[in-house]
Amino acid sequence: MITFKINDEEVQARPGWTVLETAREYGIEIPTLCFHPAVSSSGACRLCMVELREGSWSKLVASCIYPVAEGLQVYTDTERVRNVRRWVLEMLLAACPASPEIVQLAAKYNVIRSRFASKDPDQTCFVCGLCARVCEEVVGLSAIATVDRGIHKRVGAPFARPTDICVACGSCITICPTGAMQKIFDSVRGEPATALTQLA
Amino acid sequence: MNTSANIGVFLCKCGENIAPFIDMAALKKSVGENAQVAHCETLAFPCLKPGIEHITQAITDQKLNRIVIAGCEGRLMLNKFEKELRPLELLKGQVEMVNLRGHVANVSDWEPVQKAQKAAKLIGAAVAEMAALNPSIETRAQIHGPVMVVGDGMASFAAAAELARQEIDYLLAVSHQEPEEILNQMHRSFTGERAYDDRLKKLIGEAIQTPHATVLLGYKLTSLSGVTGSYSLTFATTDGGQEKFAVGAIIACLDAAYELPGPGFGHDGHTVMIPPEMEQYIQNNGAPKGTTVFWISDYEIGQSDFAALSAKNAWQMAVHIRQSTNASRVIILHNQQMEVPLTAAERAVNRKLDILWIPYDKALRPTVQDGSLTFCNLSDHVEHEIQWDFLVVSPERVVSGEALETARILGLVHKEGRFLTGHHARVRPEMVGREETYLAGSARLPCSLHDALSQGRRAAAKTAEMFRKSAQGELFIPRVVCVVDPDKCIGCGQCQELCDCGGIGVEEGPGGGLPRIVDPMVCTGGGTCAAACPYHALVLQNNSNDQREARVSALARSLGPDECMAFACGWGGLPAADIAGKQGLKYDPRMYLLGVPCVGQIDACAMARALKDGAPGLLLIGCLPETCHHSYGIDHSWSRVNTIKKLLSLCGFDRRRIALAHADLNHAEEFVKTVDSFTRTMAALGPIPKTAENQAKLNALYNLIKNNTRVRHLLSAGLRRPWEHSYRGDQRHALEYDRDFSAVLTEEFLQQRLLMVFKAERGPFNLDQLSSFVKEDQKRVASCLWDMVQSGVIDFAHKNREAVYELNG
Repeated sequence: MITFKINDEEVQARPGWTVLETAREYGIEIPTLCFHPAVSSSGACRLCMVELREGSWSKLVASCIYPVAEGLQVYTDTERVRNVRRWVLEMLLAACPASPEIVQLAAKYNVIRSRFASKDPDQTCFVCGLCARVCEEVVGLSAIATVDRGIHKRVGAPFARPTDICVACGSCITICPTGAMQKIFDSVRGEPATALTQLA
Repeated sequence: MNTSANIGVFLCKCGENIAPFIDMAALKKSVGENAQVAHCETLAFPCLKPGIEHITQAITDQKLNRIVIAGCEGRLMLNKFEKELRPLELLKGQVEMVNLRGHVANVSDWEPVQKAQKAAKLIGAAVAEMAALNPSIETRAQIHGPVMVVGDGMASFAAAAELARQEIDYLLAVSHQEPEEILNQMHRSFTGERAYDDRLKKLIGEAIQTPHATVLLGYKLTSLSGVTGSYSLTFATTDGGQEKFAVGAIIACLDAAYELPGPGFGHDGHTVMIPPEMEQYIQNNGAPKGTTVFWISDYEIGQSDFAALSAKNAWQMAVHIRQSTNASRVIILHNQQMEVPLTAAERAVNRKLDILWIPYDKALRPTVQDGSLTFCNLSDHVEHEIQWDFLVVSPERVVSGEALETARILGLVHKEGRFLTGHHARVRPEMVGREETYLAGSARLPCSLHDALSQGRRAAAKTAEMFRKSAQGELFIPRVVCVVDPDKCIGCGQCQELCDCGGIGVEEGPGGGLPRIVDPMVCTGGGTCAAACPYHALVLQNNSNDQREARVSALARSLGPDECMAFACGWGGLPAADIAGKQGLKYDPRMYLLGVPCVGQIDACAMARALKDGAPGLLLIGCLPETCHHSYGIDHSWSRVNTIKKLLSLCGFDRRRIALAHADLNHAEEFVKTVDSFTRTMAALGPIPKTAENQAKLNALYNLIKNNTRVRHLLSAGLRRPWEHSYRGDQRHALEYDRDFSAVLTEEFLQQRLLMVFKAERGPFNLDQLSSFVKEDQKRVASCLWDMVQSGVIDFAHKNREAVYELNG
């Protein structure tokens, strides 16, 4: 057993748990977005940031991928955490202003407006990659992936064409935290391949 | 393995997603009261490491062998739990999930206590299903012996060479062995591929001159039996004898054939030819001199998909002609809808050789004249003429002759298409033991030689991978596949007709009525075949009809009078429901959803069971018919639902109590409409009054559809909608078929009801008594009784000058 503290309260965890898992076990709230228990964590959205303190020194880490260790001092709701959370939420709001899920989440943490410019008012996807991870890790296929890099990165099927690899199970829609996958889905699964067999 | 069920239920609070909406304490209490539940525990997050450790601990302490986790979507989470719990010998099928968040917590404004009751009913149903589970033993697939490369397609050599490279022994059934003859054969089946001559020669050498190869020259496949890993193939040898081979895997390499186009294309074989004839001409006489026109007429033949392929082949032939002789001119005439399929480098060659590509107006079909061809020019819409000395028109591509025969024997002809590619089961990879029947060549879908060869190579590589896994003991048979009870199977073959994945074969032996066998590595677990078996001889293991009936029955018994239930297909209805729940869409909470992998695997008796055990209505929510992942599951379900509807009206109940609906997973809002519409109908109809008479009718309905082999036979023979042409059963006259079927149902239903009267109380009864019991016309009852006497079910005697009837034996 590993003993450490979250918000000054003593908690116990086993090796291999993350800070987020321990916090959830103890009912301590940490917001997440790109985290889903069905797939591996990627620490992409930075919404689950918590503060680690050691004396007068402190740092921010993504709790969904930070392993527990003896004597950690974790804080989930300090000024620093709230500050970075607000930043992340504002960036998310700017990235996908059309997602009601994101708007709702931001509002929960009192973020109504974003200081950042929004490139696309209809955007709902912030490329957390959950859809690609669920397709690969749970379904066992790679019908959907993130394409391009950096600011051009987006989610789509290989060659931006409907693909036969997709079995249309809808796992990606179910896991998508912003509702963006509903729009992308039809461009991945395509139409059933019957045209060729009905030639006669 | 311990088969007596010891069931643990784990309830998930899911932070703020479930606990605030459902009264977890009340839920835990009512689940704990269930006698079938050995252990019940509420966890904060069963899906996270701490939660899984709690579950693991409970399983070890309490020796649990079945688990129900009530939390969120099983479609996403089940894999993780199965993986985590596998070391504890809880295999696939022994872990089940109930979606509390998506199906209970979020979808209505009910009070937490009410929601807890709903959750308890759904969990109770899942527990009943787990209790009825008879888990199969984990089996490794064994693959022995050589690989058979059969079909005589050009891909054979690529496949064989790859197998030789991977050091796997194989048998190669081909019609020619000499490189020259094989090249000739190649030019006939792949035209314009002269550039491949050298490479193919090398490939033939690699495939034939190796200790791994056994060449079966001129052998013709006549029959196939067995399953993946142990096939037995019979060949007719050249001397008229027969020879049998035991092989572990089969790679089919089949090429499509060319047929002459219709008379409208002016084909005469000397000046107007199809490409293989031109190849022959080049072989005999060298490249043709004068003007050769290739008319890419695939659009006019009706095979526009292959225009680009024909054009490419024509171009390759044109290049050969131009390079061979300067006294030639080549024009390629093509429909404007086709793009010239040349790369930049090829275009440069094209310019150098001065090969002319002319597009023509799609509105006017070119006409062949003696020595000329008229077409409508694209730029000026004037009909132009081209003079030709030789005209090459596109052939019709078909799978025919020996290739078709071989494909039939191998079970590769799934649908009535021209080519063999139609089969692509859209299911998760874990559901099939091996990816697909290994098929390569242009019979799959017309393709270039390059594509055919790489298909052959890929098929061989996949086969080699399978052998490697099997040798290392890593190849497992999927857990949810059909198995046949050979004692119950009479060999009627209904399942084989219906099977979409090609996994059902016939056991080897002399005579007819041989039991069927299932290739577990091919079976996708669609289960419509098992649901159609008139004798319940075919069972979908770890997901059987008994389990489903237990689940349905438990839920139906617990439903209130104004509540109803639905089956939701794992590819359509269930994801739609999950997504509706996630989006917080509201629908009538009196609807209870049961997930099934495909609605096609719901036996009609499971539907009847719901009504018999007290459900006032049953809805089946499947996919859209064209998108059924098991090809025809939803259509089969239609027939079953329709049969129950007929029986309901024979009982005097409203036919709307059972209905089939379609949902697309990406349209959760439509799913909500479906549910609300059905619950409204049910509210208007109210429950079926619980009288002894009604219950007797429902019991008869259930017994009829479960045990009456005549009805079950007719039902499975008539599955699918009557207008569907691709089905082999002949029931094209929808109305006549329907009338006949209704008449049989009416007759058998009355017999069933009378039989149940006799079974309850032996009798003897006279006609008056019997017709008052079943409230039917005396004449009908009398003729029905006479049938029953004839078939030996009941006896009759005369007492006091009156006929009395009694149960036989």
